[in-house]
Amino acid sequence: MSSFSRSAQLFSSHKQWATFARSWLLIDARMQPPGKIASVCSVRLQGKHKPIYHPLSDIGDHVVVMNTRHIAFSGNKWEQKVYSSHTGYPGSFKQLTAAQMHQKDPTAIIKLAVYGMLPKNLTRRTMMQRLQLFPDDLLPDDILRNLTEELPQPREIPRKLSEYTQEERDAFPMLWTPPEDYRMK
Amino acid sequence: MSLLGMFWNQTVCLLQHFRGRKNRCYSLAVRAVRRAFVYASKARKAKRRSMRQLWIQRVAAASREQHMKYPALIHNLLKCSVALNRRVLCDLSITEPRSFQSLTALAHARRTEGLRAALGDGAEPPGVFSRITQLQ
Repeated sequence: MSSFSRSAQLFSSHKQWATFARSWLLIDARMQPPGKIASVCSVRLQGKHKPIYHPLSDIGDHVVVMNTRHIAFSGNKWEQKVYSSHTGYPGSFKQLTAAQMHQKDPTAIIKLAVYGMLPKNLTRRTMMQRLQLFPDDLLPDDILRNLTEELPQPREIPRKLSEYTQEERDAFPMLWTPPEDYRMK
Repeated sequence: MSLLGMFWNQTVCLLQHFRGRKNRCYSLAVRAVRRAFVYASKARKAKRRSMRQLWIQRVAAASREQHMKYPALIHNLLKCSVALNRRVLCDLSITEPRSFQSLTALAHARRTEGLRAALGDGAEPPGVFSRITQLQ
């Protein structure tokens, strides 16, 4: 069977051309954990979401990430997560917290995360070139024209208290009934 | 009938693409050809492993397209006594997508039945897909 022959790619019929096309995918990173965004991106950049996957076939898609400025780390990672770098020269060991890194360059966190999740071989650089990161939702026209699909966000954003209607707030069950002389702050 | 002649006659097609003097000089070529044969023997065993790995990756990708994970698919197909191996599943997912979709639907149904039976009381019978048939 055609499990391990590249004959399907060599035949130039229109159906094969559509199967092996590289599509442009959009993902919104607003209020999303950057690691989850990065894992979704890396899967799509490698082409591991396609049943015709092969590590040598170069069938990854383009991924455009917008709103990278508004990513949301969980826990205290903004202060505790440290990005280290060393240029090789003595005295050039730099350690930046995630907050400082994000201040310097709003796309760097997701870029480093995706870079670390891709396979460590020569195809990694080409895959990184196919990843486009934008700090806000302002995308250039040529990329907007190429986009085909929007990927669902990995994390469901919880609603703020102000976004609940008064009826929903009243309908929420009381956990305990306060006594008559209880003073609410 | 020199041994040297015999060597070059038999191996020239193999070592044409070798780098440097390994494709011209006898002593170096002998060692390079022996290594090449050893690598080929090891690779024949490794090919089966890498083929299976590729099939699993492809079936996992196709099942994720159908909102199902690979371990769940394989386990539930096994429970339904569908004895399709990974090679066939991979080929179906590429060339027969609708058949693969129906297989994932079957596995999903068996999975929900199993979960219902495990989480429920055991009062109601499990379901149609969990029925084990006896061969006559």
